[in-house]
Amino acid sequence: MNWLPLTILLLPAVGAALLAGRGWRWPRMLTVIVGPGVVWLSFLVVLYGYATDVNVDQSYWTWIKVDGFTLPFNLLLDHLSLFMCLMITGVGGLIVTYSVGYMGHEDDPSYARFFCYMDVFVTSMLLLVLAGNFIILIVGWAMVGLSSYLLIGFYYWRLSAVVAARKAFVMNVIGDIGMILGTFVIFFQFHATTYSDVFHQLGCSGDRLCLGTPDSPTLELAAFLFLVGAVAKSAQLPLHTWLPDAMEGPTPVSALIHAATMVTAGVYLVGRLHPLYDVAPYAHHAVAIIGALTALVAATIAIVQTDIKRVLAYSTMSQIGYMFLAVGVGAYAAAFFHLLAHAFFKALLFMSAGNVIHAMDDEQDMRRFGGLWRQLRGTSISFLIGSLALVGVIPLIGYFSKEFILGAVFSNPDPLSIWLWVVGFATAILTGFYTGRMWWIAFWGKPSPTRPVAVPQEAPAVMLWPVLVLAALSVAGGALQSKTAIGFGTTLVEDYLRPVVGAIAWPANPFDVLLALATMVLALVAFGWAYLMYVPRAERRAAFLDSLAEVAMASPHPWSSRVPWAQTLLEHKYYFDEIYDWAFVRPLDRLARWGDRGDRRVVDGSLTGVAGWVQGGGRELGLLESGYFRSYILVFVGGAVVAGLLVLWRASTA
Amino acid sequence: MTVVFTQVNASGALQIAGESLDTGWFLYLAAILFVIGAVGVMVRRNPLVILICIELMLNAVNLTLVTFSRQLQNLDGQLFALMALTVAAAEAVVGLGILVDIFRLREVEDVDELSELRG
Repeated sequence: MNWLPLTILLLPAVGAALLAGRGWRWPRMLTVIVGPGVVWLSFLVVLYGYATDVNVDQSYWTWIKVDGFTLPFNLLLDHLSLFMCLMITGVGGLIVTYSVGYMGHEDDPSYARFFCYMDVFVTSMLLLVLAGNFIILIVGWAMVGLSSYLLIGFYYWRLSAVVAARKAFVMNVIGDIGMILGTFVIFFQFHATTYSDVFHQLGCSGDRLCLGTPDSPTLELAAFLFLVGAVAKSAQLPLHTWLPDAMEGPTPVSALIHAATMVTAGVYLVGRLHPLYDVAPYAHHAVAIIGALTALVAATIAIVQTDIKRVLAYSTMSQIGYMFLAVGVGAYAAAFFHLLAHAFFKALLFMSAGNVIHAMDDEQDMRRFGGLWRQLRGTSISFLIGSLALVGVIPLIGYFSKEFILGAVFSNPDPLSIWLWVVGFATAILTGFYTGRMWWIAFWGKPSPTRPVAVPQEAPAVMLWPVLVLAALSVAGGALQSKTAIGFGTTLVEDYLRPVVGAIAWPANPFDVLLALATMVLALVAFGWAYLMYVPRAERRAAFLDSLAEVAMASPHPWSSRVPWAQTLLEHKYYFDEIYDWAFVRPLDRLARWGDRGDRRVVDGSLTGVAGWVQGGGRELGLLESGYFRSYILVFVGGAVVAGLLVLWRASTA
Repeated sequence: MTVVFTQVNASGALQIAGESLDTGWFLYLAAILFVIGAVGVMVRRNPLVILICIELMLNAVNLTLVTFSRQLQNLDGQLFALMALTVAAAEAVVGLGILVDIFRLREVEDVDELSELRG
């Protein structure tokens, strides 16, 4: 029996249990050691598993056994889940360590509560990726939703945080229902719940792709239902509205849950279930289309956001859209490489933003920052590295991962793919623009006159080091998979994942590298254009750029003044919230009010009526019980007399 | 002279000291005693007097039992009267016991004061 998967899973669970039970009265030092410590221990075990190349589907015990149905508790630690575990515990460890500094203002019980929730989250996420059957997957899936709810609502005394937590939970439950129904359909079709049984019956597993297998409506249905779960968890259209609101949680939570790990669970799901999606072409196309649309829509909304964390949230949606696009066309390795890259640079961006927010007395409106470049050098450099990785600039990991996806989509023979590529290409340029806007507004120019802190303090070492480690990973990570984007070098990620998700089934296009470079250049131009738009002329340093710009487009100024209706549309986030409010929230609210009235008047009313009637009758009858012995005797004797008279009367008439 | 105190003649009437006495008289007496008892229970408020009145009613009934026993030449009635006497003794013990207990708890002279269970 191989205890490795269970050990990985249980280490953070034990930490969470200790913190939940005793943490609130521990000295802070112990919380600091246990909270991040268990995640790092788990990371070491995962590393050991990587070093010894573990590849098991280990069943530990029989969980449920009912009349012919047996459900084992089995954990699957193959290359894909090990890859995910490395990312979850590694990036997770860095972020939890960072929280030691970021949450330092909290009092001791809240401090322990935070690390307890974080460890619960890491446990849930590990359970999700280690699950060896659909039922455990659902348990993990629901548990990450729960920990996300707990952490978004961490500041439970703030109404907005509570509302955001509830919104995220409701949206996630919609997804959970999809997952459960999908599992029902799978069970109905195959009478099996473990991945190995189901994939075996699907006739394909591992690197054997099942393209060309006849399409089946049942499998399409299952694939679509799982897609609902994936879309809700990964904040894709149309169930995306919870993610921006989830930024109400503490920044490390946004970094860990709402950027690096939980929101990528949908990508993991489609990748894990690729034998299903490979035989369900409609659902598979839907994944790609949803991904591409989300990437574009989120990127456009990000252009007008002013809260720095919300810009990052929409950017996260957009990047996960890329991953959905990749798994949707069948380029699984590309999706997972981007998932890893995104975990690096988006956690980096969130944590750098957290440092800035910390230095700015919890101000999040980036229009009130400005001029941080000179004052917060370490944070600024790491934020710039993260930004450029997000834009996809060449030596950074983002270039290699994003261009891997775009190249795979471009060369895909499916006729739809070219349109998806166009959307992805446009999104890449928009990414450059909104990232540039964020960078120039928050860090460049002169300090804003409304800035809360004139001389900000750089973050303490415990908050700076994890950021720098991620910055280093964002710089060097591209070496893992460089061949696909620059034409030579390594294909480590692709090779590592091939036994699980297979190779990309179509040949690369020779134009891929050229297109990748062109995309990067255009994205960088957009990044620079944002400088001309958002840094006031008086504060610009390179005068020659002005003349260049004036030649190019005659006095650039913010585009929004030319198309105010677009500005309004974007600021309302395409009115998704308003539409949902109108279509679901209000009718449900009205229904609930109506039901409440019905409950009060009809159900409660009839019961209260009956009770009142009985009570009233009792009160009247109670008057007979005078408590006076005499009156009882009088009634008794009177009754006896009447009875006697009746007897006499009968006797006389008989 | 030998006094045959009571005898029953063929028609069922009682013979006392040679005089025959109609059964009806005994029943009238029993009825009067019973009514006195019942009215006493109803109108008196002293618990002791009420108990005595109950005894009076019981004995009125006993009297009718004995009367009919004589008239019908059947000993069942007398037996039943003896039984009723025994039970009445037991009942008096219980009743008096309750009364004493209530008296200990509080000095009750009027059963109307014991009306806590009124509706």
